[in-house]
Amino acid sequence: MNDIIQDILIPELAPELQRGPDWLRKKRKDAKDVYNNHPLPPRGLHYWRYTDPMKFVIDKSETNDTAFGDNYDIVESIEKKNLKEGHLSALITDKGGREIVIFGSDELKNKGVIASTLSDACENHSELVDKYLYQIVNSEMGKFEAMNGALWNDGIFVYIPDNVIIENPIHLLRESGLEKSAQFPRALIIVGKNSELTIIDEYGGGSQDRNSGTSYTNSAVEIIGLEDSRTRYVMLQRQTSGAINYLTHRAMLRQNATMLTIPMAFGGIITKQSFGVILNGKGANSKMYGMLFGIDKQHFDNYTLHHHAIGQTTSDIDFKVVLKDKSNSAYTGLIKIDHNAKTCEAYQENRNLLLTEGCKAETIPELEILNEDVMCSHGATIGPIDSEMIFYLTCRGIRYDDAVRMVVSGFFEGTLQLVPEDLRERITNFVAQRLEHL
Amino acid sequence: MSDSIKKQNEKLSALNEDYATKYGFRDPVDYFHKGAKGINHEVVEMISKMKNEPQWMNDLRHESLDMFLSKPTPKWGNTKLLNEIDFDNVYYFMKPIKDQQTSWDDVPEYIKNTFDKLGIPEAERTFLGGVSAQYESEVVYHSMKEELKEQGIIFLDMDSGLREYEDIVKKYFGRVIPPTDNKFAALNTSVWSGGSFIYVPPGVDVKIPLQAYFRINAENMGQFERTLIIADKGSRVHYIEGCTAPVYSTNSLHSAVVELIALDDSYIRYTTIQNWARNIYNLVTKRASAYKNATVEWVDGNLGSRLTMKYPCIQLLGEGAKGEILSVAFAGIDQHQDAGAKVIHAAPNTSSRITSKSISKENGRASYRGLVKVHKNAKNSKVSVECDALLIGEDARSDTYPTMQIDNEQVKIEHEARVSKVAEEQLFYLTSRGLTEDEARLLIVNGFMEPFTKELPLEYAVELNRLIELEMEGSIG
Amino acid sequence: MAKFVKVAHVDEIPLRRMKSFEIDLVNVVVCHTEEGFFALEDKCSHDFAPISTGRIDRKGQIVCPRHGARFECKTGNVTHPPAIVGIDTYAIKIENDEIYISID
Repeated sequence: MNDIIQDILIPELAPELQRGPDWLRKKRKDAKDVYNNHPLPPRGLHYWRYTDPMKFVIDKSETNDTAFGDNYDIVESIEKKNLKEGHLSALITDKGGREIVIFGSDELKNKGVIASTLSDACENHSELVDKYLYQIVNSEMGKFEAMNGALWNDGIFVYIPDNVIIENPIHLLRESGLEKSAQFPRALIIVGKNSELTIIDEYGGGSQDRNSGTSYTNSAVEIIGLEDSRTRYVMLQRQTSGAINYLTHRAMLRQNATMLTIPMAFGGIITKQSFGVILNGKGANSKMYGMLFGIDKQHFDNYTLHHHAIGQTTSDIDFKVVLKDKSNSAYTGLIKIDHNAKTCEAYQENRNLLLTEGCKAETIPELEILNEDVMCSHGATIGPIDSEMIFYLTCRGIRYDDAVRMVVSGFFEGTLQLVPEDLRERITNFVAQRLEHL
Repeated sequence: MSDSIKKQNEKLSALNEDYATKYGFRDPVDYFHKGAKGINHEVVEMISKMKNEPQWMNDLRHESLDMFLSKPTPKWGNTKLLNEIDFDNVYYFMKPIKDQQTSWDDVPEYIKNTFDKLGIPEAERTFLGGVSAQYESEVVYHSMKEELKEQGIIFLDMDSGLREYEDIVKKYFGRVIPPTDNKFAALNTSVWSGGSFIYVPPGVDVKIPLQAYFRINAENMGQFERTLIIADKGSRVHYIEGCTAPVYSTNSLHSAVVELIALDDSYIRYTTIQNWARNIYNLVTKRASAYKNATVEWVDGNLGSRLTMKYPCIQLLGEGAKGEILSVAFAGIDQHQDAGAKVIHAAPNTSSRITSKSISKENGRASYRGLVKVHKNAKNSKVSVECDALLIGEDARSDTYPTMQIDNEQVKIEHEARVSKVAEEQLFYLTSRGLTEDEARLLIVNGFMEPFTKELPLEYAVELNRLIELEMEGSIG
Repeated sequence: MAKFVKVAHVDEIPLRRMKSFEIDLVNVVVCHTEEGFFALEDKCSHDFAPISTGRIDRKGQIVCPRHGARFECKTGNVTHPPAIVGIDTYAIKIENDEIYISID
């Protein structure tokens, strides 16, 4: 029996569908058709067990391009300062998935780097874009990936040519509109052979609070790491308590490429995110260090994937969850080793700290191993803070609240060390804020 | 066929006439002579009438049939194999052996080879091969029966249990696994036949393990066994079913239901070794309810069948209850062992441990599917899960799908899984000490399985070791 | 102070019927039995199916369509396996034929 029957179609004449050259318009139309013809995914499917898919069905006639929150300008000016002071290589602001501005690209241009809007790239670098766009996040994955595929208005394109090292991060600052806004950010990032890049992908904004209404964000991120490249992708989601957000991220690594993915989530009321890395070349290595801190009634539904399609590849996932009040988290992590992928090593760990009564955690670490020549293990724990640790600290004269703060900071410490310095302080503040009233 | 077996068969067919009247088969037997396949209300009515059942069981069978027909086949698991099951082409009631006309020649070669290699006695072979209906242990069985009777322990086949202890059966039947639970529980509830009924009175400690082996007749190795074990307050019992030697049956769909009820302070251990022939789909629902301070242990070995789907479950319903599930699966050529464990904590201060070991060889596939669920009221629960998988051979496959749903923060949950192949260093170490590679591999596999085999009664452990040796040699199948 | 939210008019939920509402991210089902109107969490404790997609039986119990679990509409207590734990109930009041629920 279907739990839900209705959903709302993308109209034929939606303006987004007309954007771009012919080849792109055709791909958008195909995606639109998939969305319109696909029934709502059944709740019985594991991927949709924890979150109601109806939450991501948007009636375009009820949303519009809205203004943005008051805080945005402050944040933008801080990042511009960072750029000026040389902490960033470039800053790309993206308001509502449609107003995209690139700051600091001149220096990058000298190195042959392309940092532009996706629509510009489709016109000026169409061969390059056509080669990679929709290759790893596309309609085949599901209804909501098809939705982004049809409705992304404008996106971000970053291309690092071979043998170029970009020392400072390129910061993508994505701001969602206020209540009744719907945005479809999209990013395509290509890191050339032997090149190096750090991307910070920050999602802010959203409806002021739940009572005023909801804002929707459905984002797609595709990253290609060519041979010997080294990429770090840091995702920070700090949307408001009235925001519903959906994110599908996929990266593909070629021979000897390495990637470090750091997803961090603190905001939104309903957050459903999927991060995946496909190891598609001998010697490729992927590490994923995720963290989230839930409060109030926040709901987090995370999925991670490490897919070893070629042998002699290695991966490691460490996903940490801290929950408070009545928040809840469901984490599914799949390690998949294909039949012909010999001699792979894959590890995964998910640890959940429950700070108060009323929060709920679910963890589903999965393994699908089709080759015997493998070393693979995973572990998961769920529980409160170790009472012995608190006892030890309070014995030394530390107040209970401070002791809890210390333990939680320690919990996240390992992951934070991997985040670019400027961001680290902000994250530490997010965590501290959430620990203020225990 | 050898002369001795022929003679045996003659003796046993004579017993069969007795069998028919002893167990109350009457005219409806003719119905089955005509080879009725498929399932419908007529068949269910025949089964119930043949057993002369009370009205409530008759009604329950019919309601369950409706549920079975209305539920779809599961969309998870090995859907390819599941969808191969042709429900209309299955016999839902086992015909008396003499009518089946299975001869020794019909028994597959690989089964006969295993009997040889395991040194199974002749009499057992004909029984296990589905050729004869009874096992010559009547004498032993009778004396044991007397001892149990003195302690007030009830140990009967399920049909007799329903007949002689209707009140107890009515109180507990279907309360742990209702027919609405899943398609195969509904099927079993409508056509169940055979299985064991055990009731242990308060405070009684059943010192020797109760073995289904002793009551061997065709009904024990039945397709749709229904087992119900009730351990009253403070009692202890250990039940063993199955055997390591392969069991052949022409009926390829087996769907048993086992319900255990461990009342306050009691202890139940249920050991199974399943080695069904490679043509069989073995879809089992096994669940236990453990009350205050009670302990339930499932020791579950899966060696045979084409596809086994079995997830022994323990519901910890009373404060201080404990559960332990120890599961081993060996998936050889073309086999899929889809096994696992489920523990549900619904009371405070409960603890559970799940240990799962699987071995996949050749193109075998072993899956672990587990659930650890802790309800809001299960404060101070402790759970630990350990899954280890060993892969042998290029085409072997292992999957792990554990789920943890935790609704109380004052708990301690740990889960760990490892998948690997036989380690080069270990092999090297052993071969450098004079063992052949095959011997070394066997030693490693035995070491891997050790936590399981050490929990088995001696004769099972010995047989299991011999069987693993044969599987590793590749001399079967 | 418990905050009550108006969800429906009594005529919208006939006898032995039920309707589901979302109040501040909690899914609540309102049942109408012979004994009156009751509000329960719309989530079976067994496998989290929305019980509002099931039915109400003659004994005033809500039956979950997925695996047949049953709960007493009045108290949320579990009465039939495979569920083994009850579900939360919420305060409900009827004023001028309008149904109000509080999830506090």
